Amino acid sequence: MSKRTEEARAREQLIDLAEEFYDQFAGGQIPEMTLPTRTKSNIEYDKDSGVWVYGDRTSTRSANSVRGARKLLKAVYTIEFLDQQLAEDRSSTLRELYYLSESWDNTEAHFSDQDESNQMIEDLEIVSDVTREDFHMRPEESGATLMGPLEIREQTRRGEREIHCQEDVGEGGYQIPNNPDTIEFLDNDIDFVLCVETGGMRDRLIENGFDEEYNCLVVHLKGQPARATRRIIKRLHDELELPVTVFCDGDPWSYRIYGSVAYGSIKSAHLSEYLATPEAEYIGIQPQDIVDYDLPTDPLADSDINALESELTDPRYQTDYWEEQIELQLDIGKKAEQQALAARGLDFVTETYLPERLDAMDVI
Amino acid sequence: MTSFQAELGADEGIAEELAKGQREISIAEFFEKNKHMLGFDSGARGLVTAVKEAVDNALDATEEAGFRPDIYVEIAEAGDYYKLVIEDNGPGITKEQLPKVFGKLLYGSRFHAREQSRGQQGIGISAAVLYSQLTSGKPAKITSRTQEADRAEYFELIIDTDTNEPEIRKSETTTWDRTHGTRIELEMEANMRARQQLHDYIKHTAVVNPHARIELREPGLDEPLKFERGTDQLPAETSEIRPHPHGVELGTLLKMLAATESYSISGFLQEEFTRVGKKTATKVLDAFRDRHYGRELSWPTPSLNVDIDAAITEAVSNKGAEATESFAGEIESVLTSRERTAHFELREIVDNVAESVAEEFGRTFGSTVRENAVAAVWAELTAFEPDAEDGRDHLTPAIYTLVDDATSTRKDDATIQALAERIARRLANSDGTQFRLTHDELSRLVAEAADATVEYDDVTVGETARENIIEALWDISRTVPDDAPKVRAIADSRDTASELLEAMRETNILAPPTDCLSPITSELVEAGLRKEYDADFYAAATRDADVHGGDPFIVEAGIAYGGELQSEGKVDLLRFANRVPLVYQQGACAITDVVKGIGWRNYRLDQPGGSGIPNGPAVIMIHVASTNVPFTSESKDALANIPAIEDEIELAIREAARELKSYLNKQRSLQKRQEKQDVLSRILPEMADKVAEVTGRSRPNIEGAMGKIMNNLCIDREIKNGTVTLTVENYSDRSESPEITEIVSVEPQDLNGAGSVVDLDGEWYVQWSPSVSAGEEAELTYTVGDDADFDITVEGIEAEKLTLNA
Repeated sequence: MSKRTEEARAREQLIDLAEEFYDQFAGGQIPEMTLPTRTKSNIEYDKDSGVWVYGDRTSTRSANSVRGARKLLKAVYTIEFLDQQLAEDRSSTLRELYYLSESWDNTEAHFSDQDESNQMIEDLEIVSDVTREDFHMRPEESGATLMGPLEIREQTRRGEREIHCQEDVGEGGYQIPNNPDTIEFLDNDIDFVLCVETGGMRDRLIENGFDEEYNCLVVHLKGQPARATRRIIKRLHDELELPVTVFCDGDPWSYRIYGSVAYGSIKSAHLSEYLATPEAEYIGIQPQDIVDYDLPTDPLADSDINALESELTDPRYQTDYWEEQIELQLDIGKKAEQQALAARGLDFVTETYLPERLDAMDVI
Repeated sequence: MTSFQAELGADEGIAEELAKGQREISIAEFFEKNKHMLGFDSGARGLVTAVKEAVDNALDATEEAGFRPDIYVEIAEAGDYYKLVIEDNGPGITKEQLPKVFGKLLYGSRFHAREQSRGQQGIGISAAVLYSQLTSGKPAKITSRTQEADRAEYFELIIDTDTNEPEIRKSETTTWDRTHGTRIELEMEANMRARQQLHDYIKHTAVVNPHARIELREPGLDEPLKFERGTDQLPAETSEIRPHPHGVELGTLLKMLAATESYSISGFLQEEFTRVGKKTATKVLDAFRDRHYGRELSWPTPSLNVDIDAAITEAVSNKGAEATESFAGEIESVLTSRERTAHFELREIVDNVAESVAEEFGRTFGSTVRENAVAAVWAELTAFEPDAEDGRDHLTPAIYTLVDDATSTRKDDATIQALAERIARRLANSDGTQFRLTHDELSRLVAEAADATVEYDDVTVGETARENIIEALWDISRTVPDDAPKVRAIADSRDTASELLEAMRETNILAPPTDCLSPITSELVEAGLRKEYDADFYAAATRDADVHGGDPFIVEAGIAYGGELQSEGKVDLLRFANRVPLVYQQGACAITDVVKGIGWRNYRLDQPGGSGIPNGPAVIMIHVASTNVPFTSESKDALANIPAIEDEIELAIREAARELKSYLNKQRSLQKRQEKQDVLSRILPEMADKVAEVTGRSRPNIEGAMGKIMNNLCIDREIKNGTVTLTVENYSDRSESPEITEIVSVEPQDLNGAGSVVDLDGEWYVQWSPSVSAGEEAELTYTVGDDADFDITVEGIEAEKLTLNA
């Protein structure tokens, strides 16, 4: 699909939504907008695509209440803004939208915080079935990077650039653009993709030359991965048929990072098919590793325990593997960071831990 | 005095010395010392009290005569003094009575009457006369005209402070423009510092007397203050009631006993008291006899070691074998068939049997014989010779059964046996053989027996056990048939009278009748508030009558809220007793205490700290009507804290306050709805505009959506080719019946039947009251020519719930 038609479709969808409100008014109906409920109790596994998507439960934003009416008013203003932005072929960040609302003549339509404007864009994505990239809305740069034997062509606003993600970049690596669909994969020599949670570990792997030694593409997730990061991982897996592995800390928050890469996040479950890589595998740190390698640990905080228990009830983690690991962790009451491996020496992670784990996972 | 005391006995002349200093206290001195009690403690207050007394009298007089009160109050400056004039349209006072009514303290028709009235002691107006006379030296000037009289009587009088008798200075007939009524003019030392209280008093009087017209002129007013009638209905007439047996005190009872013409107590009770008929009198009399004479213990007929037949046969001589045998046998058979027998019952039995045997055998059994027989049988029944060898004891087993039943099962047999034996011994040793004891004597006897048992047998006999034993014994004791003492005898004996009073109080007697009370009624309480306070909401409650100390009373409460009432500060509390406003001493009044104790936040009024007088734009009024309102003092400013009355006050207030609460809740929800409507009616049009802009279409009509959101009733007008269609759509969840009136400038034709048209001078009133169920709609159509003007009004639905688009 060409860029033009994508944009045309986006505008059409937005106007359709406005017209729906119009017809509701004209028909003496209370305007309303129905959305899937975005909670963990309303996501379900889609067998066809192998990802988690929203279930049947919906919530309604209705003008029946003052709150609902304000939401819908903001929605209409946002629709107008997006429509205009697309017509002028410009783009803006989510944060810019929040500030921009301040300039709207109607004070009732101003967003009260950025969460609200972010949520509005997500709402519109869902009801119009258009991604925010096609609305020309982008997040702040997340700064996530790639490093490894991959050659790409990026369509930038300043023309095409061909980049080799090992040879043409500094130690920082290649920064993933906001819309990774502007990237074309040219050539690669990759055996597998290794996603790393923390910057410290990523730097350790690069310093030890792990990407060169094992022909792997190191993706720096920078914590909870941005959509662009998840999208490019998905594309690397789908288009280049590469195995994807995820290497995080050994705590409940890191399991959620893996979850959003592999299963999709609750907030963007409508895009799971486009963002999630169900085949991604978790390397560690596993609670089992804490035991096996006798890693230095911190005790679990109350919030950690709550998070673990909440994960046990999350349908995405209801697999034998995760239940076993989480229960083990609750049992030992400990967590460990990736860097804890340094207790065995700086090279331990690249020479012992990763090769052992990857071998066990049949990746190498 | 102590110095005299020290010398007492030393000098015989002391008593005489003291006697010289003792003399009758003149009424003026009494007044001077006690004027604070009567409400005349300052010039400011004296004026208010004088107005109050005069107006109360005027209202009582006019109402009693069945006139609608028309009262005129004037205060004017008169040199160094203030002149007070009060006029009423009452029946007037006869020439003979007039001087006494105004010129004698403690003269009145009310004091002895059990009937609701404003004045009671007969102090009020004469105290005002006395006050004016003492401060200004001027006589009271009184004009009065009775209905039949052609001319009015005019008096100038003062009170002789030594004798408490009126002294007439001037007496003449005069003309007066009122056809009947009384006018009193007083001059007194006073000031107007209590102007607010004066105004409050007059205004509050107008509130509780909506049937009265009152006018006030005073120097501070440019215009006279006029309070017009709110109703023509006079308060229900009250009837006097006799005292209730529960409400008299010993002194009163003695006085009544001395004064009555009744000979017997039963007659006295029925004659002099309310709610006492023959049956109640008998109950009181029984209770009185129990106290005066005591009851007689009754005893079972023993089955062993008893030979009634033989005892009687022995006691009777010379009556012939057959008759004697029949006499003895009959008595024995009667006794064995009875469960228990008291001494006086035995005598009755013997008398009866003697009569019947005498009839049968023609032998007379005289009183000596009968007495012998009674003594012989009684000795058998109640034989008690525990110290003799093989001696009989019929008392202990009889008491043992009672004690055993009355005490807990944990007591062992020996204890009960010992206790029963001690009681039996004490009974046997008591005076006489009849076992006649009052409740007090019985209690004392049981207590002694129990104490002895505790002491010698080292066991416990608790309070409950003792009480149970006493009650068990009292239960089997019989009220004796002795004639009650006559009225004269009781009147002479304070102790006996006190026994009678106790008996009266003990006996359950119906509450006194309430036709002696005249409540304002909740309708008129509300009307009175409506008349004097411009508020948004009114509620009133009248409780049923209750009794305190033999005096019936009724409490009423009213609440006004919102409107023009001042919203800052505390609510206004209006207190009334027998329709008289209580102006002073709010803090000392039981009514205030009750109001403070109520949690007003429950009723949606602001109450800092959760207690005390609440804040807000409200007036709370309480009226207590009684034949004897318990005031804290003679100045009648504050109600005493009587729990029974306080309870009723609280219930009355709460009843009215509940209505206030639901009103305020509704207001609040309507306000919320209004706020929601305000916000939505701003947001939704903007949304509609924006939607129209984005879609490039014209602005959609959003009334339907608005109506639905607000669950409103929507009324729309559509005009097509001269046909007008009014559509009523009900989006609420209940059925609505709006009353729609349209004024049309052209005559409407072809009305579709649901409405009606009235022609009024070239304007046509279309009236239509459809009943529309929830979710339904109704239509009215008619045709008009071109250029018709419409003016629609809708009633019968809150403005907040109506979306009018016509």
